[in-house]
Amino acid sequence: MSTHDRSENWGTSEAVDIDLQRQRHLFLKLAENAFLVAESLRDNYFKNTAAFITALRRAMMRQDSILATSAVDDLAWDDCAGEVVTFVDGGVGQVQISSQVPILLRVGSYCVRTGERQLASRESFGYYPVILGDLEGGSKERKDYIDIVRISAELLGGLSALDRTQDLNVLMFHGPLMYLVEAYAGHAPFTERDIDLFLGQYGTTSDQGRDLKEEFLRQARIDIYPAMTDDARRLVERRLFEPLAWIAFLYRSLIRVARERPKPPVIVGVVERGDLREFIETVLLRRVFRGLREKQREDYFNTMYGRTDLVSEKALLDRLGYTDSLLMGMLLRPGEASEPWEVGKFAGLRGGQMGLPGEASTMPMRWEPLQPPSPFGFPPIVACYVHVSETTEPIRVEVFKELGIEHLREAARRAYLYARLLPGYGFPVGLDIADKYAKVPTWLTDAYGKIIRHQLGVSLQQGEISDADMRRILVQAIYMTHRDWLFRPQA
Amino acid sequence: MQDSNQHHELNAYVGTIVGESTSREFRLAVAHEAIREQDIIAVDAQLRSTTPGVLPEQLRIWAKVQRIERMNPLFPSEAGHELAATRTDPFDTVLSLSREMVTAVCQVLGAERFGTDAVGRLDQLRYPPQPATRAYRPASEDLVRVLLGDLGKNDRRALDIAVLANRPEVDVKVDGHAVVTRHLAILAMTGAGKSWAARRIVEELAKRQYPIVIFDPHGDYTGLADVKGLGNRVRRYYAQLPLFEEDADTVARIVSDLGYGLRDTMRFRFPDVFEAARSFFDCNDTELAKRIASLGELAGNSVHTYGVQPNMWLIANMASAGRFAVLDGKTSLVTWDWPELARYNRRDAATLEAIEKRSRSAASVLHRMERINRSIARAADPLPIDRRQIVGDGSISIISLAGYTSDFQATIYSIIADDLFEARVQDPDSWPVLLVLEEAHNFAPAQSRTPAESRAITTTRQIAQEGRKFNVGLILISQRPSRLDETTLSQCNSYVIMRMVNPADQNFVRRVVESLGEDDARMLPDLDVGEAILSGQLVKFPTLVRLKEPESAGEREERDAFAVLDEVRRNNPSSASAR
Repeated sequence: MSTHDRSENWGTSEAVDIDLQRQRHLFLKLAENAFLVAESLRDNYFKNTAAFITALRRAMMRQDSILATSAVDDLAWDDCAGEVVTFVDGGVGQVQISSQVPILLRVGSYCVRTGERQLASRESFGYYPVILGDLEGGSKERKDYIDIVRISAELLGGLSALDRTQDLNVLMFHGPLMYLVEAYAGHAPFTERDIDLFLGQYGTTSDQGRDLKEEFLRQARIDIYPAMTDDARRLVERRLFEPLAWIAFLYRSLIRVARERPKPPVIVGVVERGDLREFIETVLLRRVFRGLREKQREDYFNTMYGRTDLVSEKALLDRLGYTDSLLMGMLLRPGEASEPWEVGKFAGLRGGQMGLPGEASTMPMRWEPLQPPSPFGFPPIVACYVHVSETTEPIRVEVFKELGIEHLREAARRAYLYARLLPGYGFPVGLDIADKYAKVPTWLTDAYGKIIRHQLGVSLQQGEISDADMRRILVQAIYMTHRDWLFRPQA
Repeated sequence: MQDSNQHHELNAYVGTIVGESTSREFRLAVAHEAIREQDIIAVDAQLRSTTPGVLPEQLRIWAKVQRIERMNPLFPSEAGHELAATRTDPFDTVLSLSREMVTAVCQVLGAERFGTDAVGRLDQLRYPPQPATRAYRPASEDLVRVLLGDLGKNDRRALDIAVLANRPEVDVKVDGHAVVTRHLAILAMTGAGKSWAARRIVEELAKRQYPIVIFDPHGDYTGLADVKGLGNRVRRYYAQLPLFEEDADTVARIVSDLGYGLRDTMRFRFPDVFEAARSFFDCNDTELAKRIASLGELAGNSVHTYGVQPNMWLIANMASAGRFAVLDGKTSLVTWDWPELARYNRRDAATLEAIEKRSRSAASVLHRMERINRSIARAADPLPIDRRQIVGDGSISIISLAGYTSDFQATIYSIIADDLFEARVQDPDSWPVLLVLEEAHNFAPAQSRTPAESRAITTTRQIAQEGRKFNVGLILISQRPSRLDETTLSQCNSYVIMRMVNPADQNFVRRVVESLGEDDARMLPDLDVGEAILSGQLVKFPTLVRLKEPESAGEREERDAFAVLDEVRRNNPSSASAR
């Protein structure tokens, strides 16, 4: 990517001040940060941040630019005529009983052929519902349980879109293409019945779902489980699906199917908001600190902010609260994308314990074998930031590195083009459509809530629940509201 | 009947009930383009009987589509603005255009019970229709049955005036009894088809021999005489202002209002002149001949030119005669019920001269109005002295008011209407009558500015409030409903409401016409010419219709201006273009 042409004025402090005031979301974020940083940093937080941005902009304008950017606003709708694009998103339905309980997950897909005038052949929608209560695997007590279910379902939705649409050009997911999977280690495996439920909605034929399942079990038996545990037989014999290994397999399946196409479709995840700071920490500030050391100006930040501890990228970000989207919002102009970087999402995959469905004991597991470049591990991801409009934060665009770095540019250009239709949101409109389609409607969750409460009520009436404490808790769960006089606190 | 209904339902599905339904309203998820606003639809239902052991009731719930909401929840308006700003065709983008949500809000009209004698009658629904029930387009014969209701048993009362706007194959017949006894208002802006509607209703009533008196300020009804079967029953009258049925002050004000103001001294002497003129004919034929001869001698040419009639000329001539009598010392006029004349002096003679001049000028203006009136009334007769004679069995009397100012029209109307109403009050064997008031805001204005208008309001209100008891009905026709007397309009129990764009008129109608729903009222500016909302007692429920064409043509139907020009050219061969 080449440095985008910029006017001299862009690198002045006046221009930075004007940009900051014009981009209200940045201004508000900085104001919020100013309250969170240490008192000694607070007084001149705006001024110093502006000075820092000015310096960064100047550094970007130098011949040996500190950060490469490229224009992604050169794509017009005419250039995309006839392209087939599928957007995928998952939504979770929560039910209020005594607290919010996730109950239902629905993955929606929206496929559109641009330029097609016949509505019937132009658009198609699909959805894949999963009732969480039906699943046996996963550690339901963990807060991130819903995430592993959603990721699995979304990936299956993506695979389904690939299968159903042979001429697919772009497959776009709402959210990161790859989550920080290291956080999900240790969940109990899914059972074969769980996977059958997942696959019930997947594929144009039932054979496709069965083939996918059997292929995973084959790989798991031969390579994956033996690498992950010394007791692989327990998993193999029960035909269990370790969640991270299963998710990694689905990622690789996506890449495999894409590669089988004459022109592999662009598979991309687009993130609208985030507190990620990996890009500025590992790419931008690393270069900044290196340059300062080169010029023997290590005290640059300490002098600017009147501190002594701003000596590393991490220390700087910890103290000042800058994030990727905050800084990139000030360094990228609308229609620009940052240079790509390889996102680190797997470093935390280490060893740990894992319980099995229906068993009290746990077993030791190793998740390092799922780190790239393992042949059965997670595929590496490259990403960049794209600034859509002055009123929105930059979005992050992620693609599979294995499908070629040129996919990132194509993904960024399309994400920008699609997002320009919602300049006040700054997010691809097709994902907004899939989001609305995937959203579990309130009436449905309300209905589920009523059914659950009814069933509990019937059980209580029929004396099926005899434990007194349990009965009391259930009565409160079913009937209690915060303002219910009957359940007011006892004096 | 139910077998055929089930078959029909398969082909007539329009949507499914969704959301919360009540016994007054429900929402319908609509099949694409299956219905239109104001369509009448039906939903079948089964209700358990409150009597033990009795089979469930089979109902058909009838409803009207009040409004249709169409939205694409997946098409953000922000994206629409971007498309507009960049002139981009949405089909070229990734926007979704296929997922439209069409919902119809339906007003429950009532429930028809199957298996009883009451088929065709709509009862109040007391239990909401079931969600997820299919709604369908009823067969034409079912619609006719429900629209007719009890009228089906009494065809004489059913006036065939319209068809359903969205189902032209379905005739809409209205209750003639409600029209002639409970008063009808036809409200619309100019050009929307008021007179068309009124003529159609009048023709239908005339076919049933109902006596009708039409107050016609524009000659819109003279064409009724040309309708086959009505011709010999249509009588046209031209109207003269019955001056001597007014008091002296009123007539003095008429003279002033016509532009010839009377000063105080003239006003003081005017009653003497007026009473003398009014009494002029109160004598035997011999005496009358002598009086006419004397008047000719005293007043001169005017008597010979305009004759001696009970009109303004007579007042002018009487003033002239009085002046000469005073100047010449003649006292014969004293015996003409003018006793004060004996005490008049020369100054009074000058006053009489002034009264004469002003009265003569006023008479000239009145004469011109009468001439226009007679011209538009076409071969009409003068109103009979006994005005009750204009009402007879099956008679259609058209009283032309064209040419007169609105004040004079109001005066003429109130005198005639009073007489007709009084006749019905006094004599139950006299003919019932329907009074048709074109430009009704002149006969029952919201605010009276003149005594003539006050009197007309009083007359109209009385008929509106009490006419029902005496079979004197009203049809009020107005293009400015907001200028109508609210009390009178609210007494109308039936309405034909047509296109109306004036917000003041719309609001007024919405306020006064209780049977008109909010959604119906919102349609008023969008109605086509000839379309109307029938509301009130003449129909079973507010219905959007297209009125049928009347057989008669309006006398003053607007002709193409250039066609008129060409016609005049042809009739004037000396004109430049003719040459």
